[in-house]
Parts: sequence; C-alpha cells; structure tokens
Amino acid sequence: MLETRLSATVFALIIINKAGGLIYNKTFHEAGLNKISTNDLLVLAGTFHGVHAITARLNPIKNPAAAAGITAPAPNPAAPPGILTRPEPQSGLEVLESENFRLQCFNTMTGTKFLLFTDTAQANVDVTIRRVYELYADYVMKNPFYQLEMPVRCDMFDRKLLSYIREINSR
Amino acid sequence: MTIYSFYIFDRHTECIYSKSWLHPSLTEPPPRPISTTTTTTTTPSEPNTNTGPGRPDRRSRAARAGDDAKLIFGTVFSLRNMVRKLGGEDDAFISYRTGQYKLHYYETASSVRFVMLTDTAAPSMRNVLHQIYINLWVEYVVKNPLAPVEHKGGAGVRNELFEMGLDQFIRGLM
Repeated sequence: MLETRLSATVFALIIINKAGGLIYNKTFHEAGLNKISTNDLLVLAGTFHGVHAITARLNPIKNPAAAAGITAPAPNPAAPPGILTRPEPQSGLEVLESENFRLQCFNTMTGTKFLLFTDTAQANVDVTIRRVYELYADYVMKNPFYQLEMPVRCDMFDRKLLSYIREINSR
Repeated sequence: MTIYSFYIFDRHTECIYSKSWLHPSLTEPPPRPISTTTTTTTTPSEPNTNTGPGRPDRRSRAARAGDDAKLIFGTVFSLRNMVRKLGGEDDAFISYRTGQYKLHYYETASSVRFVMLTDTAAPSMRNVLHQIYINLWVEYVVKNPLAPVEHKGGAGVRNELFEMGLDQFIRGLM
C-alpha cells in the first residue's frame, strides 16, 4: 500500500513556446522519469510540437457537419440561412498514457504548451496544469524583465511552482 | 463507445491493413465554402461540382486514407520513442487522447503494430488489441500456410477469415 501512496506524484513540467522551443523544464521527482540531457530535451520538445500538430489533423471525422447531420437529420433551424456555424476547433494531443507515466498537455490560446508528467494514478491533473498556467501568467508574463518566447528564468515563478507542486506531492 | 478505424503496421513501417467503420460521408472533408460577391444563396450540391478549374483534381479516397495511415504511423512512432526515452526501455506507449478522438496502440515483440481510433470516452483498448493479435492475427494470418512471411502491400492479411473475424469482433464491442 505504501507504493500506491507514493505513486500519486507530479514528476516534471515542461513549457514549450509557440515555435516549438523549450523554454522551461523542471523535475520535481527524480525517480519518476529517466534523466535525459538538455539537448535531448530540446529535441523532445520540438518533436512533441510537431506531433501535436499532426494529432490535431488526424481526427477521423473530417466532416463534423455531416456527423451532426447523421445524429440529428434536420439542419439547425435556429441558425439563420447564409450564416455558417463555426465548428469546434481541432485540438491536438491532450493526454498521453504509457505504462510508467501520464502526460497531460495544455495548449494555451496563444500556442504555448504546458506538459505535465505525472504518475499514471494521478487525478485532477487538468486542475493542476491550469494552476501552473495561472502561476506562469502571474509570475512570468507579469515580470517586466521577461522577454517573450525566451527561456523562463524567474525566481518567483520557480519558488511558487515548487511550493505548489510540493503541496500536491505530499498529499 | 464508437470505434472509428483500425490499422496494422509491419516492422518495415508499412501499413499492411486498414479498416474504417465510419460512414463514408464523415471521412470526406467538408466542401470549402465559396466566397460570392453577390448575395445569391448556394444550393448544397453546388460546392461539390464547383471546385473550380484552377484547383487540382480532388484526390481519391484511397490516396487520402494512405496519407492518413502514414501520418498515424509517424505519430505513434515518434510518441513511442519519446515514451521509451522518458520512461525507460521497458516502458510502452498505450494511448493518447485529443478533444475529438482517442488513439490506442499495441506493439508485439515482433514489432507488428496495432492502432485503433475510437471516440474519447472509450476505455483502454489495449486488451482488445491484444485479443485481436492472439485470436485473429496469429490464428488466421500467421498460421495460414499460404500467407507470406512479409505482408508486402497487405498480402496475406486480407483473407476472408481474418476480415470477417475482425469485423464481427469490433461490431460486437460497439
């Protein structure tokens, strides 16, 4: 039982900018993931950025309008003619599961990606990742010395993030 | 639960089998809306015929399906390598989910890769893919004396027993 108690853990956080560059990475739990070099991590961030774009395009339902038509044959009467309703935007990869870990990806409106690696048993990761985004907005974006799209080196962000994740990992 | 499609890739990265259970109209990309300067209303059938002389001919459904298979292979291959790099050599990529669909992956020791696309609410299909491997692939393809060792272009996979068994098995799940 001790093992399951220890297993609910956040392993690491990676932030990828909208061009696919790695701008932040932090490991919270050493035993969770393999240690990989910064160079490999940069490659990984770039690869993930590309794969994320492809996964959004792989949606097998290419024609959402027809899908709506099959489930409800009558066209939407509320929509006035001539106005095209905009379908939900395609989202890329959101959760990846493997035998040893779980990866949650949060893509912000501006294309910055937050990747949170957790144990497979971790719950409510979407809440955690949104909180991390809030911290990023508060302590990185509002830092007047932070240059956009550049690596994040903000002490306040580091400190707040660490204390937040430590609180989760010790739960 | 809805199962959208199923793919098998061999160890040479080639797609040797693919099947879709979706209605064909869903897999066609929607016709592009045509901007009109006048306020005439377009009938629904018009955009299809009105692709315009400047645009290349619409590609056949088979060619687009082939492209999809290649993209899927590239995706699962990259993700599998990423998972192995982060989680260790013994780690295995199981599935990923987007807002629209979920992709399940199973790889055998002989590097035959099974991929299944389902709706987002589907539970883990790893054991289903494993069952397909044991009960259908091994039984009807590997044990078939007439099937070649390498399935170039899907040779030996598209036999009646395998296809029927797969279709029945998948339809039983839905």
